Amino acid sequence: MNTNNNLYTVIYTAIIVAVVAAILAFVSQSLKSKQQANEKADTISQMMTASGFGTKADFQKMGNAAVLQKYADEIEKAYTVNVQGDKVADLPLDKVYSPSELKKQNYNIKGSAEPELPVFVFKNGITVVPVYGAGLWGPIWCYIAFEIGQDGTAVIKGAYFDHESETAGLGSRIKDDPAFQAKFQGEIPNFGSENVFAIVKGGSPKNVEGMEIIDNQIDAITGATMTSQGLDAAIDTWLGAYSNHFLKFSAEEE
Amino acid sequence: MDAKLKETILNPIFKGNPITVLVLGICSSLAVTVTLKGALVMALSVIAVCGISSLILSLLRNTIPGRVRIIVQLVVVAMMVILVDQILKSFEATYAIDKQLSVYIGLIITNCIVMGRIEAFALGNKPWPSFLDGVANGAGYGMILIIVAFFRELLGSGTLFGVDILGRLGYVTNNLVILPPFALILLGCIVWVQRSIQKDLQEK
Repeated sequence: MNTNNNLYTVIYTAIIVAVVAAILAFVSQSLKSKQQANEKADTISQMMTASGFGTKADFQKMGNAAVLQKYADEIEKAYTVNVQGDKVADLPLDKVYSPSELKKQNYNIKGSAEPELPVFVFKNGITVVPVYGAGLWGPIWCYIAFEIGQDGTAVIKGAYFDHESETAGLGSRIKDDPAFQAKFQGEIPNFGSENVFAIVKGGSPKNVEGMEIIDNQIDAITGATMTSQGLDAAIDTWLGAYSNHFLKFSAEEE
Repeated sequence: MDAKLKETILNPIFKGNPITVLVLGICSSLAVTVTLKGALVMALSVIAVCGISSLILSLLRNTIPGRVRIIVQLVVVAMMVILVDQILKSFEATYAIDKQLSVYIGLIITNCIVMGRIEAFALGNKPWPSFLDGVANGAGYGMILIIVAFFRELLGSGTLFGVDILGRLGYVTNNLVILPPFALILLGCIVWVQRSIQKDLQEK
């Protein structure tokens, strides 16, 4: 058979591509539920890591079922708020947001529709909110946990970051470097102002003598300027959208 | 087993090792060798992709139109890489590893070993030897990956497969070992050792 004939070549490639596409679609569909279950447990462990219930490694060892159980034990309520800070609706207690759902809300914050932003509250009073934005190569997102003080001030209890495809060893340090995530602990975002939170080069290091401590600023990652800037913008955008919600806590106390 | 088949299996592991002799696929060997677990999963993934792609393309070899053969190879290899990624994402045990390896699983498609072996071997040989050639080349790659990862995890984190080994002896972890340049230094040492044993590899 002449395999170099034009018609043969066209038909051959068309068949190969169609067969491969069918195999991939079938596998993707049949594995989807398992992948979503893994993703959900992973998201929950990120929220719980940010809230200080354990480390990410602890949750990995526990397995999916135990993570879901622990979350069900600890979560008190989950609801959505609008940018005015008013509650819109209650969320089911087992509801978590996938990155694509956060992406949709990210568009909404930027003005395409009225955002409905999720807030998760644990029984010990810790409030967790997500942040979503663009890194250097792809989306980055995180969960920031707040402790609401006596006077209503929201202090960051912890944060956990994740990304799709930041550079290993550089941008991916937002996820892999516990020291970077620890920098967020104890920071107090300046809700209601234009610059809610800043991640800048040489920004307010803790424990360095002679340096002024700025409550809503941390040091960026060396070698990951674009990822740091993306994270800075994402946090400003999202915490900015949550500002009115958090300001209500301090207004209630006054 | 006849001598030729034996040669097909053993050559890529020692004398014609894709990493240390052909110097193919070294970028991923620098990137995924911080932990043994990651290196092991990566090695198994490459073995699967290499072996099965070679098998499929060897079965199709007489039907593939010569002008589009690279494209057909690419489609088959891409399919295998996506399948491996999807399967790793589906299991609880491998989900975290898949996330850790992130883009590097997807980048197996750009690993020169896979396409190189298909083009050089699978398109001209019967399915069974082609499959063995793919698996052996994947194994040759995986072996170096695991040797590098062994030293990097042991000296960089003081652990092996996440189990504390040197930490309890008071070993202070070395951050340089975690960084990519050290993988290159280790790789250089492995090449050195191999060439001092197999003198015929030394260039005059």
